[in-house]
Amino acid sequence: MPGLDNPLTVSRRGLLAGASGLTVLAALAACAPTGGGGSGTIKFWNMPWGNTQFTPLDKKITLGYRPGKGLPPASYQAVQWANFTTTFASAVASNTGPAVSSGSGTQAFQFSQQNRIAYADHLLDAWKSDGLYDDFLPGLLDTMKTPKGYVAVPYNLDMRALWYRKSLLEKAGVQPPTDWQSHLDVCEALKKAGMFGFGMAAGAQGNGFQVVVGLMINNGGGLFDEDQKPNCVTPENIQALEYMVEMVRKGYMDPGSVSYSTTNAQTQWKNDKFAMGFESPGLAQVLGGAVEDDMMIGDPLVSANGKKGALYFPNNIMMYKNTPTQKGSEAFMTYYFKNMKQLWTQKTGAGLPVLRSIAETPEFRSDANAAKMVDVWQPICKTWAAPGGDALFSNVALVDSTPAMSTFAQSVLSLKVTPKDALSTLQKTLISGMK
Amino acid sequence: MSRVSSETLRRSLDRARKGVGSSGAGRSPGKSGSRRRGKVAWTLVLFALPSVVLLVLLNAYPVIYAALQSLRNGDLIDPGAFVGLANYATVLQSPDFWRAAGFTLIFTVVGVFGSWAIGLALALLLRPRTPGGGIFKVLLLLPWVVPIVVSAMSWNWLVATPQSPLPMLTKALGLGDTLFLADPTLAQITVCVFKVWISFPFMMMMMSSALASVDVNVYEASRVDGASAWQTFRHITLPMIARSTFISWILMTIFCVNDFPTVFLLTGGGPLQSTQTLVVLAYSTVFQNFQTGPGVAIAFLMTLVLVVISVFLYRRIRKVDVA
Repeated sequence: MPGLDNPLTVSRRGLLAGASGLTVLAALAACAPTGGGGSGTIKFWNMPWGNTQFTPLDKKITLGYRPGKGLPPASYQAVQWANFTTTFASAVASNTGPAVSSGSGTQAFQFSQQNRIAYADHLLDAWKSDGLYDDFLPGLLDTMKTPKGYVAVPYNLDMRALWYRKSLLEKAGVQPPTDWQSHLDVCEALKKAGMFGFGMAAGAQGNGFQVVVGLMINNGGGLFDEDQKPNCVTPENIQALEYMVEMVRKGYMDPGSVSYSTTNAQTQWKNDKFAMGFESPGLAQVLGGAVEDDMMIGDPLVSANGKKGALYFPNNIMMYKNTPTQKGSEAFMTYYFKNMKQLWTQKTGAGLPVLRSIAETPEFRSDANAAKMVDVWQPICKTWAAPGGDALFSNVALVDSTPAMSTFAQSVLSLKVTPKDALSTLQKTLISGMK
Repeated sequence: MSRVSSETLRRSLDRARKGVGSSGAGRSPGKSGSRRRGKVAWTLVLFALPSVVLLVLLNAYPVIYAALQSLRNGDLIDPGAFVGLANYATVLQSPDFWRAAGFTLIFTVVGVFGSWAIGLALALLLRPRTPGGGIFKVLLLLPWVVPIVVSAMSWNWLVATPQSPLPMLTKALGLGDTLFLADPTLAQITVCVFKVWISFPFMMMMMSSALASVDVNVYEASRVDGASAWQTFRHITLPMIARSTFISWILMTIFCVNDFPTVFLLTGGGPLQSTQTLVVLAYSTVFQNFQTGPGVAIAFLMTLVLVVISVFLYRRIRKVDVA
């Protein structure tokens, strides 16, 4: 028995005791709070908003933060989009979450209901004196305002704007549309040339419902009233849906669109099938190649009601109560907002900027489409809260990429129900989901 | 050294003859024997404890937590208030649930029996040793081997747009514009066919191994008795592979009912929720509608149905064993 003389031999009982001890230790370690408040650093969690260059540069900016005396440094973590809601929810619930983060557009409103959000009023007051407050594009800060205070600070913008393929419109012999009637005329000309003027992806993994709501807002409609209650069955909304139904009936929309994912739609743009459609700001870059240079942003359309409008999504950065110090969170926010310019000047694809000082840089303005979206589209854009207001609220989560919205858009675009019935069904669904 | 070893060996053999281990005293069981058994039992328990703790943490805790969530009106952020069985009542009264349950049933029946029929047919075809049979087997396994994400993207490319290969083919055949994923009925058919396509290799393997275990002498005897090919298949092959068949049905039923990626990657449950299965509905209820209570309730109801089906099929296996 050589082991008997070996001092390093572990007895069976010792092994069991060790294993049990390690199990208990692991369990205790898993339960130990190491949150934004416990680690002594400002934990900044950000989403991969842009292309592959975004996260490394964003991390570099974050780690370049040099806190003032007595304030904690910052750490960086990129959070992937897959199941990110669960990532944040479990981390925040277990007090292991960030002190500062971005996330979904409605996340801050939901966490504020759980008393987890540190309101940004004090920070914004401070920014009034150093000019940062006035640097935000018009109306943006208001979208974050709730009766209790500002739940977050706008960070970047997504919107559904009118894109067209310049060469394909020229081939069809038409000019870009300026109102709903000219939109129909251009669609007709494109149809004759074998193309679609109302391109969209309305499948479960598409964003067609955003286009539908965008056109409702374009006509002065929307989903919520002044009291932030669903108010879907309105003349403006019915008229907008009838306009879309007309386009479907006349063959201006690809019949496969009701099942298209955004990837399918991008294929159709590249295949010269989609010549016009409402899409996100980064469409041209996503399509890439020769098509990228052919993609143009059109003008906002004047609706049948004589109105202009579009849907946009102000993504934001929020502060949490679970922080080493609120002063530290605010100091980091100030640093980050003053130094995040590179994310746009180095074209990392981080949506549209929220600060004028960034939108006015030569690097940003070199992209004429992006500049036009900020100059011409952003001022007429409204949030999900339209037409009742601009400030978002937690119940907006009911319409932000939910199955109910996809089904609503598909039912209209597949001509299965009348516009009024589709809106009535949506109204009932939203009311039943209200909290 | 060799003398000591021989002595040790002799003692060990002696102990072995007496039926005791190397460290055992070889005494008849008495008070000290039961104490010893107790010590051994405790040792075994202690050995198993780390694994049991891990299993409880990884499996039991989430299940219990989920069960509690199904009794609350919460979301992913807030656990919500206790509402008893209200979520189950809401789910059972929801037309979305019954629509999803209906398609889950179709999806499962087609998935199980479609893949079994094709798998069995191919297993029978590939049973005789033929030149190149191995290559065929490898090729036929590909749908099972290829990651589901790749398969789903390939099928999407095949059918999604009017310019995709299959719609172009149907148009060339004079069947007009076929919208495989945009038409609700065609989308259901497409999803079911896709499921059969990715599942038949599994069935083929199960059936191949079952067929290999059937004694060839039985077939010889049936041939001598003048049985036709159909009679041989019906009265010999099927009964003799019944056990494997039922096991494969149980497994495939579980695979189909719990299959999230097939539907989610190909259609996302659309269009108009026509291809939404219960597992996709549970996912979208929890992670897209943020209603954890009803979403988890759907998952538990689904599990209940699966248990009932599995028990029924398992009893069939026992009957086969008895027979």
